[in-house]
Amino acid sequence: MIEVSKYHATKVDLANEQGLVEAAKKDPKDFAVLYEAYYEPIFRYIYQRLDSKEPAFDATQQVFLKAMANLHKYENRGVPFASWLYRIAFSEVNNLFRQEKAQRTINIDSVSVYTIIEEMEESKIDRYHDKIVSIISEQLEEDQLQLIEMRFFEKRSFKEIAEILDITENNAKVKTYRVLEILKKSLK
Amino acid sequence: MKRKTNINRPEISSEEIAKGKNFNSVLNEQVTITKPFFKKGWFLSSVVVATVGVITAVSLLIKTPENNIVKTNPAATINADDAVLSEFYKNEEAKPAINPPLEGVNVPYKIYKVIAEKGATLDFKTGSKMMIPKNAFVDENGKLLKGEVELRYREFHDAVDFFVSGIPMTYDSAGQRYHFESAGMMEMLAYQNDKPANVAPEKSINIELASNHKGTEYNLYKLDTVRNNWSCLGKDKIKKEANLSARNERFNDSPDAVQQTAEYKTVETKKAVVQKEKEVKIASLLKVSAEPKKPEEAKKDKHTFNIDVNPKEYPELAVYKGVLFEVGTENKNFTSSMYDVTWEEAIIKDGTKKGENYLLSLKNETKKYDIVVYPVFEGKNYEKAMSDFQGKFTKYNVALEKRKVDEAKIEAEYQSKIIALKKEQEELELKWKQIEENQFKLMNTDEKVKRMFALNSFGVYNCDKPSLYPKGVSCLANLTNEKDNRLMCYDVFLVDRAKNGLFSYTKNPIVQFSFDPQSTNLLWTVDNGVLYWLKPEQFKTIKGSEGMSNLKMDRVDQKFKTADELKEFFNF
Repeated sequence: MIEVSKYHATKVDLANEQGLVEAAKKDPKDFAVLYEAYYEPIFRYIYQRLDSKEPAFDATQQVFLKAMANLHKYENRGVPFASWLYRIAFSEVNNLFRQEKAQRTINIDSVSVYTIIEEMEESKIDRYHDKIVSIISEQLEEDQLQLIEMRFFEKRSFKEIAEILDITENNAKVKTYRVLEILKKSLK
Repeated sequence: MKRKTNINRPEISSEEIAKGKNFNSVLNEQVTITKPFFKKGWFLSSVVVATVGVITAVSLLIKTPENNIVKTNPAATINADDAVLSEFYKNEEAKPAINPPLEGVNVPYKIYKVIAEKGATLDFKTGSKMMIPKNAFVDENGKLLKGEVELRYREFHDAVDFFVSGIPMTYDSAGQRYHFESAGMMEMLAYQNDKPANVAPEKSINIELASNHKGTEYNLYKLDTVRNNWSCLGKDKIKKEANLSARNERFNDSPDAVQQTAEYKTVETKKAVVQKEKEVKIASLLKVSAEPKKPEEAKKDKHTFNIDVNPKEYPELAVYKGVLFEVGTENKNFTSSMYDVTWEEAIIKDGTKKGENYLLSLKNETKKYDIVVYPVFEGKNYEKAMSDFQGKFTKYNVALEKRKVDEAKIEAEYQSKIIALKKEQEELELKWKQIEENQFKLMNTDEKVKRMFALNSFGVYNCDKPSLYPKGVSCLANLTNEKDNRLMCYDVFLVDRAKNGLFSYTKNPIVQFSFDPQSTNLLWTVDNGVLYWLKPEQFKTIKGSEGMSNLKMDRVDQKFKTADELKEFFNF
């Protein structure tokens, strides 16, 4: 098992966060706290999928602008506010690709590839590294790539992935392992 | 959608990301497109509640992680002054990236002098090599250095080296903390007149770092002492020593190799001796005479010759009396007229089938014939011969059966000895195979190679593979001294002898302490300059649980001056 990022807060934290959201709904200036808290994670999420920093900074601003504009539509469904922001970021990044303002980029670090190999319970780490990079870059469908990116490159828990993709945790797990199976078969 | 792939893109720092923040810009743009909230009717009615909520939430949000941990972790139940502890942790966290834990013990630098404009090739005792090109050094202002440059060089190869040097063996990647398993680490610094020197632009210094680890899964990292993290520089290259391939061949050839060992040869000699003893014993048994030949009766329609034969020359023909020589059917030119000729010479010689037929040579002044003949008997001679044959054949059979029984007894007697020796050889082969397998396993991690890379700046370089904490037993570990007082320590190092690394934990108690119970483990920490350790055998008593495990660590009062003394103490 890989270790994952700290994402989930306690019920108390979620309630406090909801308090911040409600405050920001009433006064946009109070959104500053949420902006401060989530700017870096959202930037990293966007930058992970882009090649250069500038469009990532611009897109991050757009995400918060859209979040503020639509904050009144936001409903607390017992999940962190961040998952809502990630969905806006996901849409924003896709807009960039559609409008050809940025190129879809896969940023892979070797450490994560080793983690994938470890997860696949494969021992020939060095032999498979380049092959896995090639399969991820060229063969995976976009939805499959998203799962690998979130799980292994961004070290997100299945719960977090599920909330961002608006699917069940079990579904996120099953889908991710299916992608790993695809990788494993492609290696043979 | 066309994709681009970047491998190991340099990570962007939080500071750089923070530079992109501009909430006012977001707010201003928002204000231009929406009616201000505070002017909406519902705002005023909920302002009081919201304010209270915001204040409460913000105050909760801005709590430091340290405060949270101290208040929620079990340390709170132990006698410890939170403020003192907090201050202690704060001081520890403020220490530089390279922080040797034991005063006066470190991996020493070796000093080398190099003439900058000449360059140099340095061979180190460890087997490592360094190639410095001409004009490879510049000063802090980028000015090319001439004259003598002092190089300070040291290598780190095992957990004790890593520990005493205080070089961090963890790697943070996108918020994930990994621990390095190292195939070798080195540090090189350069000075001229005690002022730091750098590597000249467009120059690089080639390193061949001696390593016990031949794996290709290692990356090359450089320690960034400002960010207190490692930067991945990609892969190094591996150079195998020439004699290693010969060693590999030897192991591949192992089925024959065991037969060359003295032990195996001794058993082989014993086997030969036993075999010889058996043969001698069998040879000493009473010999069985040749199987008697059954006499043939002369056929009435065939011609026969009565020839005197020397019994010494052909004893088989003297066994029965009255032997005649019958003309064989193969003599196509034989006619009865030959009976009428007076032959001056009639000689019996060996025939085409030894013991079965003979060659009769008939000769006079004018003619010479060779006739194939068969020994036969007729009349009473035949009856007598048959009677003699029956008697001889019965005796022969009795003697043969006795011989077979005697031989079988000897075979059985020696068979058990040979089986025992063969078993001994099989055991040697098995033992050899096991040794070979173990050595082969060791070769994977313990084979001398040179890891080659080029450096463009001075500092600490590490050939590593990132790994996670060992798994097996996990618990909440409270480290105490001999008086059961909690140790005041920050860095705690787990050594798993199966891995060439240093797994570090911070703060005591260790919230998620885990180790592999199948491995040989040690735990090191330092409290107020004093080294404490948990011995390998003490790990056997640690049970995995969600509760607290109190680990009483042994205080090490011995004063160490070198890393080698420490290695001896820890049996490295």
